[in-house]
Amino acid sequence: MTQSALTRAFLTLLALSIGTTLLTELRPQAGMGFVALVLLLAGLKARVILMDYLGLRLAPMWQRGFNAFLVVFLLTGLGLYLAG
Amino acid sequence: MKYQTQKIAYWYFLAAMILFAVQVSGGLIAGWIYVQPNFLSELMPFNIIRMLHTNSLVVWLLLGFFGAAYFLIPEEAEREIHSPMIAYLQLIILLVGTLGVVVTYVFNLFHGNWFLGMEGREFIEQPVWVKVGIVVAALMFLYNVTMTVLKGRKTAITNVLLLGLWGLALLFLFAFYNPENLALDKMFWWYIVHLWVEGTWELVMASILAYLMLKMTGVDREIIEKWLYIIVATALFSGILGTGHHYYWIGTPGYWQWIGSIFSSLEVIPFFAMMAFSFVMVWKGKRDHPNKAALLWALGASTVAFFGAGVWGFLHTLHGVNYYTHGTQITAAHGHLAFFGAYVSMNLAIFSYAFPILRGRDPYNQVLNMVSFWLMTGGMAFMTFVLTFAGTVQTHMQRVLGENFMDVQEGLGLFYLMRWGSGAAVVIGALLFIYAQLAPRREVISQGTGEEA
Amino acid sequence: MNQSPAPVPAMAEQDHPLDSLPGDLMIWVLIVSELLVFGAGLLAFLGVRIADPVAFAQDQDSLNRVAGAVNTIVLISSGYLAARAVHSPNKMRLWLSGSMVLGLVFLVVKWFEYTAKAELGIGIETSQFFTFYYLLTGFHAMHVVAGLVIFALIMRWPNPRNLEGAAMFWHMVDLVWVLLFPIIYLVR
Repeated sequence: MTQSALTRAFLTLLALSIGTTLLTELRPQAGMGFVALVLLLAGLKARVILMDYLGLRLAPMWQRGFNAFLVVFLLTGLGLYLAG
Repeated sequence: MKYQTQKIAYWYFLAAMILFAVQVSGGLIAGWIYVQPNFLSELMPFNIIRMLHTNSLVVWLLLGFFGAAYFLIPEEAEREIHSPMIAYLQLIILLVGTLGVVVTYVFNLFHGNWFLGMEGREFIEQPVWVKVGIVVAALMFLYNVTMTVLKGRKTAITNVLLLGLWGLALLFLFAFYNPENLALDKMFWWYIVHLWVEGTWELVMASILAYLMLKMTGVDREIIEKWLYIIVATALFSGILGTGHHYYWIGTPGYWQWIGSIFSSLEVIPFFAMMAFSFVMVWKGKRDHPNKAALLWALGASTVAFFGAGVWGFLHTLHGVNYYTHGTQITAAHGHLAFFGAYVSMNLAIFSYAFPILRGRDPYNQVLNMVSFWLMTGGMAFMTFVLTFAGTVQTHMQRVLGENFMDVQEGLGLFYLMRWGSGAAVVIGALLFIYAQLAPRREVISQGTGEEA
Repeated sequence: MNQSPAPVPAMAEQDHPLDSLPGDLMIWVLIVSELLVFGAGLLAFLGVRIADPVAFAQDQDSLNRVAGAVNTIVLISSGYLAARAVHSPNKMRLWLSGSMVLGLVFLVVKWFEYTAKAELGIGIETSQFFTFYYLLTGFHAMHVVAGLVIFALIMRWPNPRNLEGAAMFWHMVDLVWVLLFPIIYLVR
């Protein structure tokens, strides 16, 4: 992992976090679309951490496994949210 | 037998098997009392028999663990046990203590005496003088094996084994702390009961399993160690906070319900890993080891432990479920299959492996031993199913419909009769096993005579 | 004595999937275990919420969302500095100190959040929402403390292998937070 790739990962994380914050400011009443977007942003952040900070970019098989975990986790979360 | 001091294990295993016979016989009597509640009620009440059944189980499993340590540590550390004399003295202390316990329980001697009388906390009922003896014996044991390992080769197997044995000895010290407050009493009580069987004992089990796999499958030590570390890490990660699944209804704060539910659900992982480990090693290792019975016990242990401890444990570990099933026959079903699978079978596996070596002969009585495996495992499996059905019915009638405890028990009579029948099969299997170990007859037809062990 | 048939040749384990994982295997065992625990906790939180979404939303309103958002930025920045420490052996101490300072900032912000709740008389038994809030953020904060202790040990006794493991632990703490924060603080 080169330093520039690391920095790119960090900037991506920063952008995603700011995105979450802006979204929260814009839609204080939340709702389904908001929650779906927030969870999507969370998933993207988690993916960057796994791929670049934790280096799974080099292990495609494990990357797929962790991505599957994230997708299942976030979809289940969304489902539970919608049930409430 | 490569090292002379491995012979110490023979006497530990022998003592363990005698207590094994006592334990299952006690179980058979206790099982009959469920069918006919007044049986022996004057001579030896149910609570005494149950105490003997559970205490002798714990003691013989520990004797088996000590024996296993004395058997495998010389080979792993590549040197003789530090002091055989201490090892035999330790065994004598433990046997005197055991005898004292049995006599004290059966005749209820020194009732109420703080030092000589029975203490009355489930599983740690031993009089204080016996507890002191246990600690002294444990210290002698730890000194002896630790010195051996420190002077010799250190392997992952001995490291994990010692970690487990040190842990279980230190946790036993909580037996001396008995707070007045019942909630605190139970809270610390589980430090022993839970952190033994779902913590330290798992480490002992995993290291014995790893040793057997190393010897019988011929897979590289490096690979076996990797598995061992994963098993140990997941066992401790889930098992320590998994203690929370005993803190649902004893007066501890409500957040334990979530800590207990989540962590204890993960306790299935190390048991699954042990099962996967043993099968993968046997498939990968191409060695055709002549001691088929020991291999069968090792595979059986990890499989039945997965179902008994893992699956049957998970069945009632979530607090929403446990609210209804707590203390019903579901618990009895889980307890029996878990102990049999994880600790009884693993002990019998190392006995089966070690006995021919300790007696300096080829594996013997293999068929008889394997018959005893199927009798015991089949009996235990049937008992578990019967008790699970009984527990389900009991949960519904007693906890959901709110019927009276004794009325419900009357309705479970048929289940208890079937449980007794399956228990009888286990006892016959146990006696067959002991006979198969002690009376070597037919040698197995062998292709070569190379020494291995 | 036992027979030993021809010794088994060492198996070809070079292609074992576990070997393709970057870094120490045991750290990955830990990461997976932690993800399962926090994942289960967060899903349980959302599951319990179904019974009373209104009460959950009310309790959530008393959380400090700004503090949570700030802490997200703090933690991902700290993670970046830790990753730089691994890749710059010469300036390891500098990067790692930066990472540790941000870790402390996270804890200070968390401390203010907790004391503000305590002043309102809110505790772990106040409601189902707060039971989960304290359990999940509390466990997470304990991991932050553990990470700082590990980093301090690395500063004292530097070792590239251990540094890599410690940084991976720190990234795991990051990872948990980016999943935990939106679900506890924002989903409503």
